[in-house]
Amino acid sequence: MSKFSLEQRNNGTTTVLYLKGFLDAHTAPQLETAIAEAIAEGNYRIVVNFRELEYISSAGLGVFMVFIEDVRAKGGDIKLTAMNQKVYTVFDLLGFPMLFDITEHEEEALAKFLP
Amino acid sequence: MPETKSFIHARLTAFGDTRELERIRQFVQEKAREFGFSEQGAHTIMLAVDEACSNLICHSYHFDKAREFFIDIRPQGTEALVIEIFDNGAAFDPFSIPPPNLQEYALQHRKGGFGVHIIRTIMDTVEYFPATHTHQMNCLKLVKKLS
Repeated sequence: MSKFSLEQRNNGTTTVLYLKGFLDAHTAPQLETAIAEAIAEGNYRIVVNFRELEYISSAGLGVFMVFIEDVRAKGGDIKLTAMNQKVYTVFDLLGFPMLFDITEHEEEALAKFLP
Repeated sequence: MPETKSFIHARLTAFGDTRELERIRQFVQEKAREFGFSEQGAHTIMLAVDEACSNLICHSYHFDKAREFFIDIRPQGTEALVIEIFDNGAAFDPFSIPPPNLQEYALQHRKGGFGVHIIRTIMDTVEYFPATHTHQMNCLKLVKKLS
């Protein structure tokens, strides 16, 4: 069984998702469900913290593509933060830094949602 | 250059189940490290194989856990590692997939289509041999040079 878990915390008006373990074609549906539920509850400001994520394949990256246009249309965003080098390399390989706001620290990502 | 330890040939039999990806990654990473790749090098090869097998399991085998495929790993001399993935699904030419356009994909809420691009970016050689009368399985051949 691929080891993956996520934890959700609400930080004021922002939802922060903390990912842990291995995000691949087997575990990506868990993340997709969590983001879909956050959006269904009206949370369009989402920060995804990768600090404890060890591995990602394109199945994981694809999850963000599903939702990014919808949350931006609602005035929100999905900001990505605290990736290790291996994880960032995969995002970079596909050109995601052109489309997504990726920060080094969670505080920077949260600050970007402030008026 | 890291010291290389040669092995003759290794094969993993896997099934049409995404749970298999963890076992596949462990197998590929172990063999790539054994051949002499750095941790980073082994990680990228493992990612390319994960992408190929994910596509196979999801889009060709449609998560049919009874269907099997094979991953063969062998050295090409001391300079390159060859990974061949043999399957008996419908033939699929990875070269028919254009590079992803992120803006378009986002507008289409599209979550797939990245794997082939990752494989082609990471590996030095990518070849695809559809099944024939004499070779009954499709073969995706990936080669990565050590240097």
